Amino acid sequence: MAFDLFLLEVVISGLMTGVMYALVALGFVLIFKASGIFNFAQGVLALFAALALYDFLSEDGWFFGLFGFTLPVWLAIPATAAIMILLAWIIERSVLRFLVKQDQIILFMATIGLAFVLEGLGDLLFGSDVKPLNIGIPQGASDWALDTFNLYIEKLEIVAAATAAILVIILAIFFQKTRIGRALRAVADDHQAALSVGVSLDKIWVIVWSVSGIVALVAGIMWGSKSGVQFSLSLIALKALPVLILGGFTSVPGAIVGGLIIGVGEKVAEVYLGPFVGGALENWFAYMLALAFLLFRPQGLFGERIIERV
Amino acid sequence: MNDRTQDQILLEVDAISLSFGGVHALTDVSFDIRKGEVRSIIGPNGAGKSSMLNVINGFYHPQQGTITYQGQKRRQMKPHEAARGGIARTFQNIALFRGMSTLDNIMTGRNTQMNKGLFWQALHIGPARREEIENREFVEHVIDFLEIQAIRKTPVGKLPYGLQKRVELGRALAAEPTLLLLDEPMAGMNLEEKEDMSRFILETNEEFGTTIALIEHDMGVVMDISDRVVVLDYGRKIADGTPEQVRADQSVIDAYLGISHD
Amino acid sequence: MFYRENGQFKSSYKADQAIFPIAQDRWFVIAVVLAAFLAVPPFIDQYWANAVILPFLVYALAGLGLNILTGYCGQVSLGTGGFMAVGAYASFKLVSLFPELNFLIVLLLSGFITAGVGMIFGLPSLRIKGFYLAVATLAAQFFLVWMFNKVGWFYDYSPTGMITVRPVEFFGVLVTGPEAGSAAKYLFTLSIVIVMALAAKNIVRGRIGRAWMAIRDMDIAAELIGIKPLMAKLTAFAVSSFYIGVAGALYFSIYLGAVEPVEAFDINRSFYVLFIIIIGGLGSVLGSFLGAAFIVLVPILLKNVMVGGMGMASGTAGHVEILLMGVLIIFFLIVEPHGLARLWQIAKEKLRLWPFPH
Repeated sequence: MAFDLFLLEVVISGLMTGVMYALVALGFVLIFKASGIFNFAQGVLALFAALALYDFLSEDGWFFGLFGFTLPVWLAIPATAAIMILLAWIIERSVLRFLVKQDQIILFMATIGLAFVLEGLGDLLFGSDVKPLNIGIPQGASDWALDTFNLYIEKLEIVAAATAAILVIILAIFFQKTRIGRALRAVADDHQAALSVGVSLDKIWVIVWSVSGIVALVAGIMWGSKSGVQFSLSLIALKALPVLILGGFTSVPGAIVGGLIIGVGEKVAEVYLGPFVGGALENWFAYMLALAFLLFRPQGLFGERIIERV
Repeated sequence: MNDRTQDQILLEVDAISLSFGGVHALTDVSFDIRKGEVRSIIGPNGAGKSSMLNVINGFYHPQQGTITYQGQKRRQMKPHEAARGGIARTFQNIALFRGMSTLDNIMTGRNTQMNKGLFWQALHIGPARREEIENREFVEHVIDFLEIQAIRKTPVGKLPYGLQKRVELGRALAAEPTLLLLDEPMAGMNLEEKEDMSRFILETNEEFGTTIALIEHDMGVVMDISDRVVVLDYGRKIADGTPEQVRADQSVIDAYLGISHD
Repeated sequence: MFYRENGQFKSSYKADQAIFPIAQDRWFVIAVVLAAFLAVPPFIDQYWANAVILPFLVYALAGLGLNILTGYCGQVSLGTGGFMAVGAYASFKLVSLFPELNFLIVLLLSGFITAGVGMIFGLPSLRIKGFYLAVATLAAQFFLVWMFNKVGWFYDYSPTGMITVRPVEFFGVLVTGPEAGSAAKYLFTLSIVIVMALAAKNIVRGRIGRAWMAIRDMDIAAELIGIKPLMAKLTAFAVSSFYIGVAGALYFSIYLGAVEPVEAFDINRSFYVLFIIIIGGLGSVLGSFLGAAFIVLVPILLKNVMVGGMGMASGTAGHVEILLMGVLIIFFLIVEPHGLARLWQIAKEKLRLWPFPH
């Protein structure tokens, strides 16, 4: 009985981590869906968002230094969202618009450069020490789960799961039902064609990167609340890759499912296989899983099948 | 028109059906190509002509039907088998290697004829260099034939459309093909360029005996240079015969009505 | 005026296909190589060797390897760090197990072992391309670093997990270890790098190089004209990994002397080499060298200016360096995606007309 419970706890813990991965992967999917760019800087965006949020909230931030007061949470979050939108606009103007016609690989490498810029900037502006992020999300284990099911689940993770679910629903509606959503899908298919029917590429990209930035903010809040705002947040970007492979690069639900599978897979492997090989399986298990997947189903669970034409 | 043995069949496709998901690109198409002839495949846009070439090439695998090439019957062709078997082609949207020069592009056409391994390549001096020079000589013949000496070293991405098409033909010719598949080789060309291209195609056919399968929209060209014509419409064959027979065929006229061509 | 090719007509294909068909280029390169062999050794000291010249050579070699795979063959790889680790650990184990083995053989064997590993991780490239392949190479990267960290056999069960190079002689001259002279290390490394660069240039301008570029530019068309994708891609992985493996072995044995896998060969190393070839020029042998020079020299320059000149704390300087690297990457990708090699070519074009403006 106790063994089963343990497995269940591991699985749930994995699911929760998976939700966190999924949040980051969502940001990737958005940008990829709308611009065909694989935004390597997504993780750093989450870090940057979390850093900015911390700055608004705390007394050792620039904001306090400049204005003498800190913002309450309900103001700080929209303020940070505004910063992310501004950032999206800057990125579009200074980087993206010059790279419109280039190959995917060049764009990808540009986002690597972008990640470095944001990381350096973040360190310079906000310092590289770990910062606690407390925006009022309840901490600690869920008493309800403990009492009812004898399971240890953190309240934070429940909040994260709920947030992710809501975000997914909003985004799905956005893409399917709105005019802008349709325009985004057109742009993802073919930049030139979209241009020729009058879709304004710059505006679209600013919108997409802004939305992605806000998703990054949510991810940053969740991760930051859980383990403090620190550099390793940006490495999550790398973990998102296997998530996207499993889920398909263009699928919003895929990002969630992929995240969950990776999260659970990693945790289970670490707990049950880890002891045999010295631990730290989490470093590479996700990638091997993704690799195996790639060999059998390259487009992922929900991605579109690629048909080549000559 | 070629006086060599017209009766030998080089390629035969039998009851080929090809679909992608719900789209039927080809349905039950059968025809043959005789050795040494110029065979045109015509039809309105979307008729499945390029798909047919892709099947012959081995790029698409038909769900039904067989392909018989040089006496060997197959359910489907593998691209590699096709290339080694002497089938070369050009593409509707130009598939040149943009990062390389004209010369290098045409040299890649010689790839199946060259085989010196990694070690000799690294050394260069010796067998690899000899092989390179031998093949370079052949490629220069092709360049002379197509009159593109001046653009030898130019990266192909910089060439105008008409010249790119010619370079692509050169790459196909470099492979010394038995069967040459040409997908709209004259698309987007002016009259003078078309005359040049027709001349090259005819010379290839007459001097080297290369069998040619040609997709083309310009009816004047088709009627002028083809030995026989097959007509496709909506993935089905609707006519097959000499240019005169096909021109007079009512179903062909119906298929083309309302569609303008130059 | 000095750079005109007037009168230099080639009368044979052999002459036309030479690596440096223009005589001025030939003389220039010969001069540089001679200077490298003769003029540098008397003046080289430990600081220059360790801070600038050895890392330059090693990174140029690694860049060459990655360029073969990514620049010429178009297969994106983020696993360079991991493969360098394979080369390093292979050389360590070989010297440890067979101390009498000639060091050159050790290096070559390390290269071959890495080539084998590279081919295994390259197998997925037959089914997947682009970013998907990048993920496969990431798998290699993380797995390999983890393995060298965990499996004690690789580091001879040393309690620190680090590996330290043994002093090894090459025909009587010490080339590894703290006692080895800078000139010896330099000449040894230089010779290897030059020979391998020449081999690389020969390969890429021949049949195999063209096959690689064909796959890069349009792999479907390449397959349809008879190029075997399997052979071409695996060969690219093999050759590339060979170069990266030797670079890794040199990185460990001659340049650093002691490494610990997570620090020396992690994902940042992979990015480092990727930046070298982006900035230097994808698909260019010269570019690998230019990129390596750039990447090795710029941080040193920055550090001198910022810490020495402006009195910045070295931590802050580090952050600015990262920032600047990112800016430079983006700058190059926008302004000249073909990197320094293309800028060099353009400079030569202008030089042909000099002193006339056009």
